[in-house]
Amino acid sequence: MAEQGTPVPFRGGGFAPRAKRGVGVVVFIALIALVEWGTRSGWISSLTLPRPSDVLATFGELWSSGRLWEHLAPSLTRFAVGSLFGVCAGIGVGFAIGLFSYARAGLVPLVAALFPIPKIALLPLFVIWFGIDEASKYALIAFGTFTPTVVATYGAVDNVDRTLIRMGQSFGLSWWSIVRKIVLPGAMPGILSGLRISLAIAIILLVAAEMLGAQRGIGAYILEAGSLYDLERLFAGVTILSLLGVAVSFAIGAIEKRLLRWRN
Amino acid sequence: MTFTRRQTLALISGTAASALAAPAIAQNRKITVGALRLTSHAASFVAEQRGYFAEAGLDAELRFFDAAQPMAVAIASGDVDFGITAMTGALISLADKGAVRIIGGALQEEPGIDGQKILASDAAFQAGITAPGMLDGKKWAVTQAGSSFHYMGSKIAAAEGIDLQYTPLQKVGAIIGAMKSGQVDGWSIVPHIAKALAGSGAVHIIGDVADYLPDYQVTTVFTSKKNTTDERAMTEEFLKVFSRGVDDFNAALVDKTEGDAGRDAMVELIHNYVYSDQPLEKAAPSIINGAMRLNANAALNMGSLRDQLDWFKAEDLVDDGIGIDTVVDDSFAPTMA
Repeated sequence: MAEQGTPVPFRGGGFAPRAKRGVGVVVFIALIALVEWGTRSGWISSLTLPRPSDVLATFGELWSSGRLWEHLAPSLTRFAVGSLFGVCAGIGVGFAIGLFSYARAGLVPLVAALFPIPKIALLPLFVIWFGIDEASKYALIAFGTFTPTVVATYGAVDNVDRTLIRMGQSFGLSWWSIVRKIVLPGAMPGILSGLRISLAIAIILLVAAEMLGAQRGIGAYILEAGSLYDLERLFAGVTILSLLGVAVSFAIGAIEKRLLRWRN
Repeated sequence: MTFTRRQTLALISGTAASALAAPAIAQNRKITVGALRLTSHAASFVAEQRGYFAEAGLDAELRFFDAAQPMAVAIASGDVDFGITAMTGALISLADKGAVRIIGGALQEEPGIDGQKILASDAAFQAGITAPGMLDGKKWAVTQAGSSFHYMGSKIAAAEGIDLQYTPLQKVGAIIGAMKSGQVDGWSIVPHIAKALAGSGAVHIIGDVADYLPDYQVTTVFTSKKNTTDERAMTEEFLKVFSRGVDDFNAALVDKTEGDAGRDAMVELIHNYVYSDQPLEKAAPSIINGAMRLNANAALNMGSLRDQLDWFKAEDLVDDGIGIDTVVDDSFAPTMA
């Protein structure tokens, strides 16, 4: 039977994101230029938004006076120590939940109960437990990064290809060998993408941790600027946190490239 | 446009009601007054409870805050019309941006009248800190940088030649907790809170702020810049009403010219706002002991205000170029010598 109907056009294509270089940068520049123009021409009042060039000048002053490091060093220490504890404990507990049924039965409800607690609400309690100095700040950040890391880790362990595990068993690998050579690398992508979230939460908690009793730190600097209604300093501080977030994301990207080479 | 009979009636009675209730300037002008739950804000409480606002045709609503700075921001955003708090860094920055102005004084340290107290935590006191000069290197509690607590601590430190570690704790409640548990060593606060805390033994009074800052104007009355220009009449009216509250308060609790009955009535009134979670008998002594002089006619103490502004500049908390005229509008209230 000969077909005489209209030809069917090709409807495929699309739905495949492609890399467009520089578009992100253009969006940033356009937004900043708009605010700069708006504050200069006066339709954005100095009460609403600071002038981006003033923020840059404040940042430059912070840099040249050396006060940037005065604030950045304690914050980075808190971030590093707190999230190191939280992430290590989180990965450990996550693996335990992923591998042992008793740990899963006992700890999953506990983690689910701890996750939604706003860690900021516990800050006064942590101050009593750990003192007003560094320990309470480490504890807050560690606690904040712990729960998302646990959830990401045991999810990642659950998602390790079971056929690979069965194969390992067929080849007579020991339990420990399977964990080390199949489960750990197989869970790594999930753990690392979970880490992106955990560490972003750690940066958010940095400001919260520095609410009580911190004289130095980016969070304290932002809170001070807020209480003085000094928008230039406020935005300079917020920009530093954003840059910190980008740096952390970049670092995890680099670790992913290194640790996940086996995928290619 | 057609009206039903009911709508017409409602319209007529509504117009009549508003016309009848219209005194001097305002026709039930709705204003929002920011306050903290402290005895020092009693003038607003009195004006509200005794109907002085209503008499002046101001439909005032009190709005409560936790700290001084948010109130300044709320005035700038237009959510609050008048505020009574300390001259904070936020207030000065906002004044510099043309948003708010100080128009009067409110609370004042005065020799002979119990003023703000310098406190030491029990732990610090047991360790031998019995005078403000012994706080060298210790933790001094402040709510936020540039708050009145920071100013007082800094002035005390300068006078004693000591160094204090200013510890921001955001809220007065958090400071009280930290003082009780010995996490911080020193603090200064209005007498009614200081005495209540010292009474429980959790902290110890080790000095008076007045010894270091004799005529410190602790709090001021401020409003949006727009209210000082476009709404002059309303602002003047507010200050008049506020001053009536001040006079009542001073007569009842500071000068004690109204006898026990006047005092008790005032305490009961204030108790509606301050320590309202405690029974009256328990709250009364703190309120009576904590009464500090409120400035009659909201008089401005320019010397003290200038000193405070200079301190903010010296501490690099506000811009160096800000003049006192940018912050204070002295055309509404009298100034003290």
